[in-house]
Amino acid sequence: MKIRTMKLRETHAAADDSVCSILWASDLGHIVTASSSDNAICIHDASAPSNAPKFLRNHREGVTALALSPNSTCLASGSLDHSVKLYKFPGGDFETNITRFTLPIRAVAFNKSGTILAAAGDDEGIKLVNTIDGTIARVLKGHKGSVTSLAFDPKSEYLTSLDSNGTVIYWELQSGSTLHVLKAIAPNNGTDVSVMNILAWSPDGELLAVPGLKNNVVLYDRDTAEKLFSLSGDHLQPICFLSWSPNGKYIATSGLDKQILIWDVDKKQDIERQKFSECITCMVWKPEGNALAVIDVKGKYGVWESVVPSTMKSPTEDIPGLYFKNSNGLLLFDEEEEPCASGNLSDLNEDSHDDFEPLRRKRSRKHSSYDDEMEDVNDELETVSKVETRKKAFYGHKENLSGRSGSRNMMVTAGTKMQEPFQPGATPAQPGKRHFLCYNMLGSITTMEHEGYSHIETDFHDTSSGPRVSAMTDYFGFTMASLNENGSVFANPCKGDKNMSTLMYRPFSSWANNSEWSMRFEGEEVRAIALGSGWVAAITNLNSLRIFTEGGLQRYILSLDGPAVTAAGYKDELAVVTHISPPLPTNEQILEFRVFNISHGSQPLRGLLPLTPGSNLTWFGFSEEGQLSSFDSKGILRVFTSQFGGTWLPLFSASKIKKSEENYWVAGLNASKLFCIVCKSPETFPQSTPKPVLTLLDLSFPLAASDLGADNLENEFMMNNMHLSRIQRSIEEREASGLDCTLLDDEAFTVETSLDRCILRLIASCCNSDKHVRATELVKLLSLEKSSRAAIKLVTALKQPNLAERFNNILEEKLLSDKKENIALPDSKSNCNGSVKPEVASTKFFTAEINRAAETAVASPVHIFPSTSNTRARNAEEPTKDKNGKSEESKTMTPGRTIDLKATGKGNANGVHNAGEATKATKVDQLSSSRPSNPFAKSSSHQGSSSLFDSLKKTKKTDIKGKV
Amino acid sequence: MAGTSDPHASAFSAAELEFLAEDEIIEIVPNLRMDALNFISGDFGPFRPQIPTQAPLWLAVALKKRGKCTIRTPEWMSVDKLTQVLEAERDSDKFQPLPFHYVQISRLLFDHAQGDIPDTYMVRSLIEDIKDVRFHKIGKGLESISGEGTFALKLLMPSVMLIGFSIAANSLKNLSAMEANIVRPFVTRALETFYKLSSSDMIQETDHAPNRQQTANRGPRRQLKDR
Repeated sequence: MKIRTMKLRETHAAADDSVCSILWASDLGHIVTASSSDNAICIHDASAPSNAPKFLRNHREGVTALALSPNSTCLASGSLDHSVKLYKFPGGDFETNITRFTLPIRAVAFNKSGTILAAAGDDEGIKLVNTIDGTIARVLKGHKGSVTSLAFDPKSEYLTSLDSNGTVIYWELQSGSTLHVLKAIAPNNGTDVSVMNILAWSPDGELLAVPGLKNNVVLYDRDTAEKLFSLSGDHLQPICFLSWSPNGKYIATSGLDKQILIWDVDKKQDIERQKFSECITCMVWKPEGNALAVIDVKGKYGVWESVVPSTMKSPTEDIPGLYFKNSNGLLLFDEEEEPCASGNLSDLNEDSHDDFEPLRRKRSRKHSSYDDEMEDVNDELETVSKVETRKKAFYGHKENLSGRSGSRNMMVTAGTKMQEPFQPGATPAQPGKRHFLCYNMLGSITTMEHEGYSHIETDFHDTSSGPRVSAMTDYFGFTMASLNENGSVFANPCKGDKNMSTLMYRPFSSWANNSEWSMRFEGEEVRAIALGSGWVAAITNLNSLRIFTEGGLQRYILSLDGPAVTAAGYKDELAVVTHISPPLPTNEQILEFRVFNISHGSQPLRGLLPLTPGSNLTWFGFSEEGQLSSFDSKGILRVFTSQFGGTWLPLFSASKIKKSEENYWVAGLNASKLFCIVCKSPETFPQSTPKPVLTLLDLSFPLAASDLGADNLENEFMMNNMHLSRIQRSIEEREASGLDCTLLDDEAFTVETSLDRCILRLIASCCNSDKHVRATELVKLLSLEKSSRAAIKLVTALKQPNLAERFNNILEEKLLSDKKENIALPDSKSNCNGSVKPEVASTKFFTAEINRAAETAVASPVHIFPSTSNTRARNAEEPTKDKNGKSEESKTMTPGRTIDLKATGKGNANGVHNAGEATKATKVDQLSSSRPSNPFAKSSSHQGSSSLFDSLKKTKKTDIKGKV
Repeated sequence: MAGTSDPHASAFSAAELEFLAEDEIIEIVPNLRMDALNFISGDFGPFRPQIPTQAPLWLAVALKKRGKCTIRTPEWMSVDKLTQVLEAERDSDKFQPLPFHYVQISRLLFDHAQGDIPDTYMVRSLIEDIKDVRFHKIGKGLESISGEGTFALKLLMPSVMLIGFSIAANSLKNLSAMEANIVRPFVTRALETFYKLSSSDMIQETDHAPNRQQTANRGPRRQLKDR
């Protein structure tokens, strides 16, 4: 063998022998060098070595270790100054101090995907740092001396480390446990830091090369850590560095005898050597090509071209295809985190289509291990999809964000699964942390597992009035809970044969001792529980709904149609959601809801539960008013309404609120607000400490962007309409059951007036944007007659005479039809007994209408005034209350009402006078006396009405001005 | 309240300043249910458990003392924000915008709601630092004024002095209550003195009687302003 000399280029000036490191980036263009006697890292341009290198001087002391992430985008360096720093590569911009030690660093290494950085040195432990967020994933302790070399196995299962005493440890990455400890197999350098012990995995991950005690290289088996064979030859002193060629066919070793030997691994023979003037401390193969970069103890580096004789196979031929498998299998999840991680893999794969000829033994082993690996991957995918479905229940709109290619196949597997059962207001269990079993508007139940049993705490938000509930030690391992003001109920799934599923009820206050009770289910498992006033419900895996009384009496057992999703209780009502069929291939869950009335034993509602396509139900319950509501993982809230024969209205959409970095975790809602906890993305559920704070969000319809540009008004219009229909329905219900509904009438009237106000403003904005047809439609929707008049005034003021005329006609038509209706269906509620005199009416329309009406009215014994007379007549009973209204708008409305009152009052008075009942007359007088004007003076009421319109006009004008 | 302070010194006492600061609005998370409270200063509430609402500081502290609420630390009291302010404060001569009563608010919160403030120790030391830096600036500002003042005196030109004050007033933008309180006696007294000096100047030039009347009139009016 010939001996040549090589000229080395000085880069790091070093007086003493120092440990130098060198890297060759797989983009071919850059060589990175560092020295333990120099605080700078140099990035050289390999193609133009004469160019001045780039210096990175971020460390305060010498740099002892370098590592480049597999995709060559990130450079890590460890230093004597105890810090590990990350840089962008090839730019060299300093990114972060990813971790710190208490003693100098000796080795750093990236794993195959670049997501984990291992760093170690004179400190006791090896730190595994997550490169994405800098968190310490694990600290591996076990070495006695300082760790001088780290190597991740290319299959990302093991980490091997070597310390200065010559001990090699195999770590299992998954668990962090030691697999094998090989003591004193490598040279013991003691405290000599100028010589590093080194170990390296073959690129296919089957062999681990470690310098031996007899100036040789020993190769160990991947799994068993058995010594397989050794390479011994011409080294006269111990080996201080070794490097595998990219295809794993050759090893370059450098010894303390200042020479480099190249070995053919298969033949176990050295094929080439090179002598140097100094000891080489580090070398690296060119990633694609027949060259070796070396650096010596004095900090001089050079490139040894055509290392392997041209008669032999190139060191880059037949690069193991392992990369391929990894990138499709195990790395799937890493890719999702770091989409650019596969950057260099494709380069390497180009060569791997060629014939492939490793040792026979290796091949057979590889096949078997590859099969295992595939199985593992499949297992992993399965578990992942399971986890995914469970987690999904708590995902806000995260799926929108993560809809990248990497996660697509997982989402498909998850999508065809039926949603797992859940409890509304529960968060998933987190080890070592307290989590919510139940969170509602009343309080919360939290639990934390600790050494085999859990500690359950119940807290009420309102600490002053809620009962105090002592903490409870839970030996069952409850995973479900529900809470209301009277008590709490818990349940656990069965765990094996010994631990049966248990349901436990805990009342907060009871006159009897020992009123806690529990039920055990043999061969059955509780899936969902709910709590109402005086009853407890549990749904089991046998699809039976079991209803217990508060005292623990087994009251009903019903069979449900499908597997349970969730359940919720409110007073007497129990709502149950079940699957009725597997999800559609388009990833839509098919759910059904049923509402039971426990005390009546009836089922008032039943129907399909709508969900946004591709979403899961994440919250289900009742609003504070008792409206059934649901919230899905796409952030849409739906509320059940009896309109259109019972439908769900989408009343909130998280995507309409332009805050993509927030997720909403629903706790409850009332008629106009949604109570939720805002979680910063990617968090989808709150932590139990610190106590989360509820945020109020306005309910609103997800409206389309209208050309009117008055979205708020349109939304208000729809919300008011919805409220009105809800109130009217409850009025009907109460009337049907013969209950007093004065309060509801009041409410209806306020909603009506605010609806009219909203319509008037909409009319104004319609007029401004020339939507005359829409304005006319809106006028037809006005419920109060005086609002129609205000609308006419409004359009007159806006100089739309044709509209005014139209409005006038509409009003006349309306009055006419109202009259006919009233005459046809006389209202028994009216207390107006006499006939109406035509001169009572104050306006032209009125007079005309009533004149006409009076002819027929005389015949009929009972007559009332047109339009929504119910509310107005009642309103007349409380004019003073209305007059105390604060806002200007209500003031402007009040005179209008009193005019109506005037009319009715007059009607009353006249009728009463005719009948000669003096007492009623005084009553009316009293009512009228609250007004400054004389109720019997016709002219004054005229004035009153005109001033009303003026004031309305003024407010409208200011409104319009404000908008313009 | 006015009785506690010396009527002649035109500064507020610490207790008075705290009293004034207690009207600042702060966000609280009550843990009780209570209807809205109607005060002269406005309506607060309704209070619903776990739902944040606005309340004056005195009410917040009163509720906190009874364990009925947690106080949410105002945004400017976060470590990030305070660090920024401290840096800006050190870098520039101007005063950074902080709530007018920041010293008192933070003090009240430290006294009564220490548990509700994240990184209490850090926040406390940052606020102390900011206070020190700002007080130091005020001291320096006053020195420069007095420097200009003596210069003005030498020239017997009070107008120069007034210009000095107006410059100072510009740089004193964003001054907080506590800091204004420190400057107030000096500035008012100094102005008074300069006024006297300048009017005695005028006395020499014009006749005595009307000028004296002016000074006599001046006194009470100024006092009224101070109140």
